[in-house]
Formats: sequence, structure tokens, C-alpha cells
Amino acid sequence: MKNMINSVYGKYILFGIALCLTPMLQSFGLISSATVTIFGTIIFYAIVGIGLNVLLGYSGLISLGTAGFMGLGAYISAYLTNDMKVPFIISLIVSVTIPLVIGLIIGLISLRIEGYYLAIATLGVAEIFRQVFIEFEVITGGFSGKSASYPKLFNLIQLDRALTFILMSVILVIIMILTNNFIHAPTGRALLTMRGSEAAAQAMGINLLKYKLIAFAVATLYAGLGGVLYVHFIRFAYPSTWSLTLSLQVLAIIVIGGMRTISGSIIGSFIVFGIPELVLKRLPVIGNIDGLSFIFTGILIITVVLFYPRGLVYFGSDIKKAIRSKKAADVSFKK
Amino acid sequence: MSTFLQLLFSSLETGSVYALAALGIIIIFRTSKTTNFAQGSLGMFNAFVATIFLMSNNISPLVAAVVGMISAFTTGVVIDLIIMRRAKNISPLSKQIITFGLIMLLSGVAPMVFGTSPLSFPRFIQSGTLEMVSASITHNAFLNIGIGIAIMLSLFYFLQKTKWGLAVRVTASNEQTARLMGVPTKTVTMGAWAVAAALGTLSALMLAPAITVNISMMDNVQINALIACVLGGFQTFYGPVIGAYIIGLSKNMLVYYVSSTWGDAILYTLILGFMVFRPNGIIGKRIIKKV
Amino acid sequence: MDKKKILSVENLSIAFGGLKAVDNLSFSINEREIYGLIGPNGAGKTTVFNCITQFYRPNEGQVLFTKKDGEVLDLVGKKTHDIIKLGLVRTFQNVELIQELSLIDNLLIGAHIEFKTGIISQALRLRSAVKEETELRAKALGILEFLELKDKKDELASGQPYGVLKKIELGRTLMGHPKLIILDEPAAGLNDTETNKLADLIKLIRDQYKCSILLVEHDMRLVMDICDRICAINFGKKLAEGTPKEIQLNKEVQEAYLGKEE
Repeated sequence: MKNMINSVYGKYILFGIALCLTPMLQSFGLISSATVTIFGTIIFYAIVGIGLNVLLGYSGLISLGTAGFMGLGAYISAYLTNDMKVPFIISLIVSVTIPLVIGLIIGLISLRIEGYYLAIATLGVAEIFRQVFIEFEVITGGFSGKSASYPKLFNLIQLDRALTFILMSVILVIIMILTNNFIHAPTGRALLTMRGSEAAAQAMGINLLKYKLIAFAVATLYAGLGGVLYVHFIRFAYPSTWSLTLSLQVLAIIVIGGMRTISGSIIGSFIVFGIPELVLKRLPVIGNIDGLSFIFTGILIITVVLFYPRGLVYFGSDIKKAIRSKKAADVSFKK
Repeated sequence: MSTFLQLLFSSLETGSVYALAALGIIIIFRTSKTTNFAQGSLGMFNAFVATIFLMSNNISPLVAAVVGMISAFTTGVVIDLIIMRRAKNISPLSKQIITFGLIMLLSGVAPMVFGTSPLSFPRFIQSGTLEMVSASITHNAFLNIGIGIAIMLSLFYFLQKTKWGLAVRVTASNEQTARLMGVPTKTVTMGAWAVAAALGTLSALMLAPAITVNISMMDNVQINALIACVLGGFQTFYGPVIGAYIIGLSKNMLVYYVSSTWGDAILYTLILGFMVFRPNGIIGKRIIKKV
Repeated sequence: MDKKKILSVENLSIAFGGLKAVDNLSFSINEREIYGLIGPNGAGKTTVFNCITQFYRPNEGQVLFTKKDGEVLDLVGKKTHDIIKLGLVRTFQNVELIQELSLIDNLLIGAHIEFKTGIISQALRLRSAVKEETELRAKALGILEFLELKDKKDELASGQPYGVLKKIELGRTLMGHPKLIILDEPAAGLNDTETNKLADLIKLIRDQYKCSILLVEHDMRLVMDICDRICAINFGKKLAEGTPKEIQLNKEVQEAYLGKEE
């Protein structure tokens, strides 16, 4: 048992099991149904965040198309499962592949130039997606939105809300493990080298374009996956959901949580998507202010970048360190 | 012919809106190596200020615009003093992330202060048109085109011919050397933020009569202004301005002659394609990276 | 003279703006030779270096490299990241290591081209990915032992003394199968003892790894100590080529370094 807690996989799996207990807390009446929804939201945005973390944290690139790629995955899966009666698993594969392919084309064009071109190109593409979501009513339902149902696995097991939540937790843990694996492998080292010095990376035989593309591919893939989970858990998608603001919120997850850490993305997702709903909206007086969660996220982004650039994931350990060194200082002072 | 002329003038008007915003972005980019994604949000926020001021006082919209620009100027100074100055030693990427934080902050504060319903802002010149050939162009359109061009020409004159303009250009070419040579780069950067915010606000107010003053009013302008910088290249001050007019023109042409729904999408796709052939923009130069 | 050439630079020229940084420069390096490229500050040494490794595209001239199978290849126009695959590895003047990685992981970066598995097999920890990681990690450990840094293998690169970082960067070049190692001012920032140790290490590497070494250096002691032959350049042009003795006695080289006596 102790071994399990100490290994990375063990921690991830324990975290997953703890997450899976959330729907049960609801059935015992300890938390409300809305709270479960919020935790579900935190899960799929954490997945999207981990993908964007690979892009931003390891290659220093920014995508502003995250929401667009999520939306694409969401609408395709909703259409395939609802209208075309395609099995969930196949729909999932198709719905993450299409955003991935589009992402690769955009990346191939814009990554050859300076880094900030990717941000601008994806911003433009997200705008095109938004138009597509509104206009292609057959697939997306236009302004009135598109509905989807809880996943049905292997055409046999129809999941309910609690089971869908558990499925999402399992997928999150799998994503955490897979990401951890390739980050601590040649791919991760190559990305880190590229971030440290492009010249050194080239001299070591690292193809910059290839690795930037890989990082961007991971980000779009996870965004597509997040979108699919979104639509099958929330069971509804509107075009206005997939806005620039959402892309910025996902970006905030990583900046606030901490770059280049998987747990940072989860903490970040909790802060950006959990705290406003669970805490801020319940505060007296200011809880009702429009735009409060934006102000909260905006201020956090700016202050974390300026004063705590490693991210809040290190907050706990830093405080411990501070207390320890203060104790040490006190001891030496008494001597 | 008359439709074309009509389109041409409305393109010049749209182009001016984009060009003012793009100029703001490039001034900040050149002086502090930050791609300012909050240019539109700054404009939106201060357009609200101008509109509220107009509604509570019986003044001409032009005066309100000046008030809005002064408020924007102050916003720019405050942002530089409180945030960007502290961010001096962080990477351009982190500065860019700060501008994302600004977008969130401004779009959260705006509904809190100004409410959620859209406000209307009148044209600078309420009525009157000029008949040319068989096209009719509003006086307001002429004014907007004129203001746009006049402001840009005076800015370029300022950059090329004055001592402060020289300071800006020196800072743009090498901030560190400029500082060592005694150029007050801090003031230059602060000025850049202030002027950029004012330009963004003017751009927002020119657009406002057509689409009302609301929180997402500048989203489209922000994208088009950034793409204008891509098209014109980030290496010169005038490239993005040229890019902005090209985008204004092609957007209107595509919307009118090809598809009103997909005009923007086609334009963005075309520009993405253009980047394949001229990655550094129309005016852009290739820069050799030192190893 | 039937020594085999490993690299020969022929009529290399490159200009930045109007300034000719390298002007019609030719020299060649033999197999198993330690060759020095020297010159005063701004002589164009690093530019030559960057032209060989294809960080810059020369305007004129050829960079001929003899591959492992004996085939001679012009490097000009090749992709920067493909150069190492031929067995040509470089270091950097200001040590480009990855601070947040351990020393052994930094060495593994040097073996980047040796890894054949892709991101998917790595993510799934397929047997092939685990196997090559284990093998190359063992190789890296061997090199750390060679560098006498084995006990520091899991320490992070950040915070290590400069001498250790320089050694690791050297070790990183050994992770592939180097035929020619180019060192950019390896003695910069080292004290006398460290420089002497470095000289020994460079000779040891040449003997153990059976490769050639091109040294671009400012520090005359190191060059005179270990080089078989030296090429002295100034203003991008060749001044002289020969053994360390010949170079030391050469009038033009002395002038370039010490200034003309009036």
C-alpha cells in the first residue's frame, strides 16, 4: 500500500478512486446534484488543460483555438451518436481525430514562423469554427443547440449520470498516466530541450517543427476529447459556449495551476471552474455581480504570472518550506 | 460601378477601424515585444466610458470620443505602471499571458460597472450624405476615413521626425542599448500603452454606431487587427496599417460578392494560405537569428 | 600524406549585410586529428562553426564531410537537425544544458537520434520504448563513469559548478556515434587546473571514441597544448595553417593577436 502511494501511478489511481466517490456522496445526500456537475466540469477541463499544458509548458506556444476544437469534438460526437446511431467508442475516435487533423494543418502552416503566430492563427480558426457551429444546423442545431445522451458502451451498457462521471474520472486518470509516460521519455526531453534552447535542440537532432507539431497535436487531441466528454455529460452544446473566453479560461488553468506539472492542471481546473461556482457565487452581496468569475480569473492570471510564476501547485510545499526555515531560524536565534 | 464605389468607401471606413487597432498592437509589440491581445478589450471598456459620459452630459459625440480617449490614455498608463513595469524581466510569452488576464479582467469589470445591456453611441455626424457618381457616402464615413488617415499620418510624422519619435524607434530596435544610451525607455513603453489604448478606443467608437457598445463589440476587430499585423509583418510600423486596409477591402468584397455568411471564414483561410508563401508578411523582412 | 580527411571546408564565404564575415576560407581536418581554429575576437571563428553545422547558410563554398561508409557529402543546404545524424556533433559557448533535468537525462538528450520509438509507444510504455530507454540509460551511465560523475547522475543540472556542466556537455556529444566533435570555446570560464583537466579529457575522448575534434578557441594555451594542427584566421580570412610551433612563430598571427609593432 505504501509503495502504491509513493509511485506516481499509485497517486493518480488513488486520486481517480477518490473522484469516483463524488457521485456516491450525492446519493448519500451530502452534496447537491449541481456540485456533481461542477466536479464533472472540472474533470473534462482538467483533461483539456493537461493537453494545453504540454503545448504551453513544454513548447512555449499558445493556442487560442482550444474552445473551438472542444466544440468540434462535442458537435461531431453528438451528431454521430444521436443522429447517425454510431457506437460511442467509434464516435469518440472519429470526434477526436477530426480536430486533430485540422489542428495539424493549422500547425504546419503557422508553426514555421514565430511562436505567437500560432496564437493568432488559432484565434482566426476559432472564429471560423464559431461560424460553422452557427450555420451547419443539420449537425450542430445552430443557435438552438444540440443535445446528446449519456454514453452507451459497446451498444450494451447504457451509462447514467453517476457512471458517466466515473467513466470521465477513469479517462482522466488514463490521460494523466499516458501524459506522464511520454513526458518522462525522449519526447518530453526533446520538448524541454527545445524550450530551453532551440539551437541546442537542433544540434542534438531535434526537428523543431516536428516537436512543436507534436505538442500542438496533443493539445488539440485532448481538447477534442474534452469536448466529447462535455457533450455526453452536460448533454447539450450551444455555439456561444465555445468562445474565446473559454479558451482563455483553459489557458488560465495552466498559468494559475502551474506549468509542466500534471497535478497543476487539475488544481488549476478546480480553481478556474470550481471556485467561482462553489465559493464565489455563494458569497453574500458580491456573489451576484456579473462577471465576478472573470474578474477572479483575470486577476489571478496577472498576479500569478507576476508574483508566483511557477503556479499555485507549489503553494503548499513552499509554505511548508517557509515554515520549516522559519523554525530553523527561530532555533538558531534561540541558540 | 456605383456599388463598387460604395464598397470602396465602406472598406476604407472598416479599414480605418482595423488600422487604428492594428497600429496600437504594433506600437506595443515593437516597444515591449508583447503581442497585446487585450487591445480590443481596452477599446471596448473605454468606449463604455465615453458612452456613459455622453448619456449623462449633453455633449457632442466627438467630445465624448475625446473623453473616452483620455480615459483610455489613463488606463494605458495605469496598466503600464501597475502591471507591465513589474513584468519588465519576464519572457514575452508571460507578458502575452498577462494581456489574456487583462481581457478577462476587463470583460468582467465592464458588465459590473456598466451593466449587461448594450448601449448605443451615435455617429459623429448625425446625417448628410454626399452623392458621388451614383453612390451615396455619408458625411460620417468621410469623417471617419479622414480621422483615421489624419491620426496615422501624424503618428508616422511623430515617429520619423521628432525627438520622441526617434526614442520610440530606438527602443523598438533594441531596448537595452536604448536604455544604456539614455533613452527613457520606461516612458516610451508607458506612452506606447497609453497611445495604443486611445487608438483602440477611437477604433471602437467609430464602429459603435453600427453595432452598439457591448462587451463583445471588439472581438472581431481584435482578430482582424492581429491578422493585419500578420499580413503586413511585425517588423515595421506601417506594414500592419497597410494590412488593415487590405483586410477591410477584401472582407467587404468577399462579403458582398461571394458570401455574406462565409466572407470572414474565406478571408481567414486565404490569409492562412498566404502565410505559407510569405511567412513574414507583405513588408516583412527575414531576420537571421544569432546562435 | 595518405591520411583520410574527415571534413574539408572549401572556399567558404558568408556575408551579413555588406560585411564579409568569412572570406574564401579553406581548411581540412584529418581523421583522429585534434584541429584548432583560432583567431582574435571577431575574427569569424563562430561564424565558420555555424556554417559547418548549418546554423547559417554560407553564400559560397562547400563543406565536405566523409560519412561513416566513406561517402563524401556536401553539408551545405542540409537541415540543421540532420547534421548530427552524420556523426557531427557540437557544443555551445555558453553551455546549453537543460536546467530542470538530471545530469543523466541531459546526456540522454544527446542520444535523441538514437531513439526510434514515437510518442505513442512511449505513452503506452510499449516494450520497445522501455527497452531502448534502458539501453541508452546504461550507455549514459557508462559515459558518466568515464567522466567521473557517476555519483551525481540524478542531481539536477541547475546549481552544478561550471566545470561539471562543461563535462556533461562534452559527454552529451558522445551519446551518438560521433565522428567529428566541434567544441566552441570549451576553456571559456575555466581556471588553469580545470583547463588542464579538460585538455586531458579531450585527448582521452579522441583516443577512446576514435573521432576527430575541431576546437574553436580563444585560449591559446589549450590550443597549443593539444592540437595536432591549427588554422589561424582574422577578418574571416586564413592567416596561416600548421603545427602549433609553426603558428606560434608565424609573424602574421603574432601581429593579429598582439598588434603590429611600429
